[in-house]
Amino acid sequence: MPDNVIQNITEIKSMPEVLKAVEGMKGDGYRYVTMICLKANEGHELIYVFEKDDKLKHLRYFVKPGEKPKSVSGIYLCALLIENEYQDLFGLTFEGLAIDYKGHLYLTPNSPKTPLA
Amino acid sequence: MTTVIPFGPQHPVLPEPVSLKLEIDNDVVVGVLPSLGYVHRGLEKFIDTKDYNQTMYICERICGICSGIHGITYSRAVEKLFDVEIPERAQYLRVINSELCRIHSHLLWLGLFADGFGFESLFYECWKYREDVLDLLERFTGNRVIHSMSKVGGASRDLTKEQIDQILKTLDDLEPKVKNIEKVFVNNYTVKKRLVGLGVMSKQLAYEAGTAGPTLRGSGNAVDVRNTADWDIYRDLGFKTATEKEGDCYGRTKVRIDEIYESIKLVRNAISKLPDGEIATRVKGFPTGEAIMRAEQPRGEVVYYVKGNGTKNLERLKVRTPTFANIPSLLLMLPGVKLADVPIVVLTIDPCISCTER
Repeated sequence: MPDNVIQNITEIKSMPEVLKAVEGMKGDGYRYVTMICLKANEGHELIYVFEKDDKLKHLRYFVKPGEKPKSVSGIYLCALLIENEYQDLFGLTFEGLAIDYKGHLYLTPNSPKTPLA
Repeated sequence: MTTVIPFGPQHPVLPEPVSLKLEIDNDVVVGVLPSLGYVHRGLEKFIDTKDYNQTMYICERICGICSGIHGITYSRAVEKLFDVEIPERAQYLRVINSELCRIHSHLLWLGLFADGFGFESLFYECWKYREDVLDLLERFTGNRVIHSMSKVGGASRDLTKEQIDQILKTLDDLEPKVKNIEKVFVNNYTVKKRLVGLGVMSKQLAYEAGTAGPTLRGSGNAVDVRNTADWDIYRDLGFKTATEKEGDCYGRTKVRIDEIYESIKLVRNAISKLPDGEIATRVKGFPTGEAIMRAEQPRGEVVYYVKGNGTKNLERLKVRTPTFANIPSLLLMLPGVKLADVPIVVLTIDPCISCTER
């Protein structure tokens, strides 16, 4: 049984490198598909998913506890919804969001806080 | 001076609640702010209490229109974790189920769209024809909406010779009916006046905006998950991607009509090539590792991410639905559109809000 069946994944070590890599993906003609967020070692793991010529490519970045990742919605506008979703569900804060719903994309003030965190 | 007008969450053309705050200047949209959160159910959290087999039934309930394809995509994602190959007959049964879902979903959309621009009799026609497909799915799977046709390891139901004959007869009857409504959508003067040149997105803009499905293909991008290596079976069935280059509401409509014909062809081809044999492989143990699986739903690409940790429950399930990818495109399509045309443009992304919010 394979331990990891995600193909074409690149680990990225710092947030500025993430932004540079995402800009590079756009320059290379990749379509932004989505971002996946996971809990990992007190922090979070982000997997950015892109597509070109029917093939996927991924970037993986570990968000340290308390770190505020940068939004990539300035590069790909469509990233704004998924980043807002993770602000709601995981309690992350993305800096520089094109539209910031401030943790209320889905959740109301009376909803459970960060239900997936 | 601009005015902000709320569009939704309850609106005659919206079957589900979503809100758009429209900034209007002299009857023309100059800004859009979408608001979600009216039907968020927390299904990605809910699966914490379900094992990986039960989770298939939760995934089917993400959407009441493309429920079958949700179940199939989830099953394929978990099958990737187990590294199992399902029987060939099950792959064909999944194609038949998926394409019947696409046909009834597109007929539903065409009806809603006709209703949106005030063509009531066309709405009735589309929904009447859709009923034939729903009846078929009910006979084939036992249910109109939630089909539970797929399971991890293959299919949960087989088709009998009588059911196959019913499917072929229904499709033979349906095809000329679709041709009749196609004439109205494509050639009618009034319909064309409402749709041509409205809500235009260029090929590049649609691609960069991360759109999916007919919204992307209606702008000339031949992107369809059925062409990918994960879905080789579609190549064997002679699948051809439907695209239109206009990038407007008219182009997105024509893509969906073409896709109905393509789905009819795929079901016929799948039935003609349907191999004998088992319909499921037994899957043992608990999943480990992580996998991404995509499929082409009627509204576009759906993405499933699953992560197993060797227990009966998945550690993480993430679903990105096509409407989630298409909502940001409204920020690009609506500015410059007259207020009266906003419902038409919004409908052309075929918004499914239950899917989007999960």
